Amino acid sequence: MASVAENPRAITSEPWVPPRLRASLTLDFAHDEIAGHSVLAASRQEPPLKVVRAFTVQDGAALAHLHNVSGGLLGGDHLALKVNVGAGARVQMTTTGATRIYRQRHGALPTTQANEFAVNEGALLEYVPDSIIPFAGARFLQATTIHLAKGAGLFWWEILAPGREAHGEIFAYDSVEMKTDVVALGQPIASERVRIEPGKRSTPSFARLGPYRTWATFCIAHVGRSAAAWLALEHELREQTMALAKHGETLWGISALPAHGVMVRCVAVHGRRVLPGLQMLWQTAKRRLYGRDATPPRKVN
Amino acid sequence: MERDSANDILTLDALADLRLLHLADSALPIGALAHSFGLESLTACEMLTTRDLPDFLRTYLEEAGMMEAVFCRAAFRLSAAAASDDEFAARWLALNNQLSARKPARESRAASASLGGNFLQVALNLADLPRAGVALSVSKRAASMAHHSTAFGLACGLLQFAEDRVVLVYLHQSVASLVSSCQRLLPLGQSEAARILWNLKPVIIDTANRSATCTPDDACCFMPLLDWGAMEHPALSTRLFIS
Repeated sequence: MASVAENPRAITSEPWVPPRLRASLTLDFAHDEIAGHSVLAASRQEPPLKVVRAFTVQDGAALAHLHNVSGGLLGGDHLALKVNVGAGARVQMTTTGATRIYRQRHGALPTTQANEFAVNEGALLEYVPDSIIPFAGARFLQATTIHLAKGAGLFWWEILAPGREAHGEIFAYDSVEMKTDVVALGQPIASERVRIEPGKRSTPSFARLGPYRTWATFCIAHVGRSAAAWLALEHELREQTMALAKHGETLWGISALPAHGVMVRCVAVHGRRVLPGLQMLWQTAKRRLYGRDATPPRKVN
Repeated sequence: MERDSANDILTLDALADLRLLHLADSALPIGALAHSFGLESLTACEMLTTRDLPDFLRTYLEEAGMMEAVFCRAAFRLSAAAASDDEFAARWLALNNQLSARKPARESRAASASLGGNFLQVALNLADLPRAGVALSVSKRAASMAHHSTAFGLACGLLQFAEDRVVLVYLHQSVASLVSSCQRLLPLGQSEAARILWNLKPVIIDTANRSATCTPDDACCFMPLLDWGAMEHPALSTRLFIS
């Protein structure tokens, strides 16, 4: 029988705090000249993060599904994703489902996820995950940096749900903080610093979300295109979103970035209206920038 | 003798205060009255009404106001921290590029830059501020933006005003400018506008205090509906404002 000294949990009234899980996933994609398509050339994987394999999609891109075998992010988890897209490679990344952020245990540190992407010369990254769902009591901090080299392209979106809506959890999480930097040729072109604390600051304020609950951001970039080209794409996408938008249900905003891209913002009462709209804009922008169709990941076909 | 010394100090403080008020005056010819920063779209679709205005402006200060205050402080400290003009110029460009990237709406970003450039030009006409001249010329050469909050912070730092007062006054004039826009966009009378601005002063102080311990990299701003309003402003068929 263990003595009290050997089992301090037996004598403390403090709740048990799980040890902090640290795990990382490193992926290195390259363009295979002989095969004529992009491949996952190397990876280093630590559970619970996993990529089973990369699939080749129609346009020669490598499609990777990001798995979290624990089913979601647990309180105190510190996960890191590092992706290198080699020169000329085309990569599409998605999640296998929504990213669930579970409730924190008392005393646990916030769940953190650090994402770092390098998109090298002439490469393309399409990062099109499902939504992030912070459960009641969750505290989540995500930091993402995307470096774009000369001629590099990016389609990158994030969708933040208000919680488990079907379960009646609307903005019941403690906090979500998202830091995102898109850097082209060493200059920041899009930076977001989002901190939502529903218990401390009113999310229904008309300066924040008003009656809307789901928030999405979609960055489209291709380094080297002229400001006039981005203005034209801004107009084209805005025309398209006029058919999608309905006051009180879904709003879409489009604007050219300081250079190399456009930014799309969406707020919606119901999250189900967001993904089809993002996919439509992705399709239009990809045709305009690359002269080819966007191929949604197989799970959403 | 003691009395003369005290009077000298009073005169210096009073001169600094009056100059600060002058630079923050809505009558300063920098074009502030031509921009609504997305408010026009929100009022056009009746998403923002006079009734919502106090809450809206309070949130504005907590989010965008906080971010601009942090950048204003960073610019205020910039010149003293840079040993050479070259170092100063590089830091000035980096700070403003960082702020440009934080402004997703093209028109609001351009509006901020228009006010900032005009502000620096006016400040140069009023006082001998060589580094403000460096800032203006390097921004033009690099086709970069000189934003209003950073221009205000820089000029006031060069004039050696008190940093906390500068931030308070910057926030006050920026929110007063929005109230002025709302008077042209909404059924908002002068008395009610004055009352709203009066009641916001504790929030201005709180925002200025919080900004003192925050870095530009950490300053958050989450205003999706105002972003939407600013992004969709170019699509309005009839417009009173440039942004």
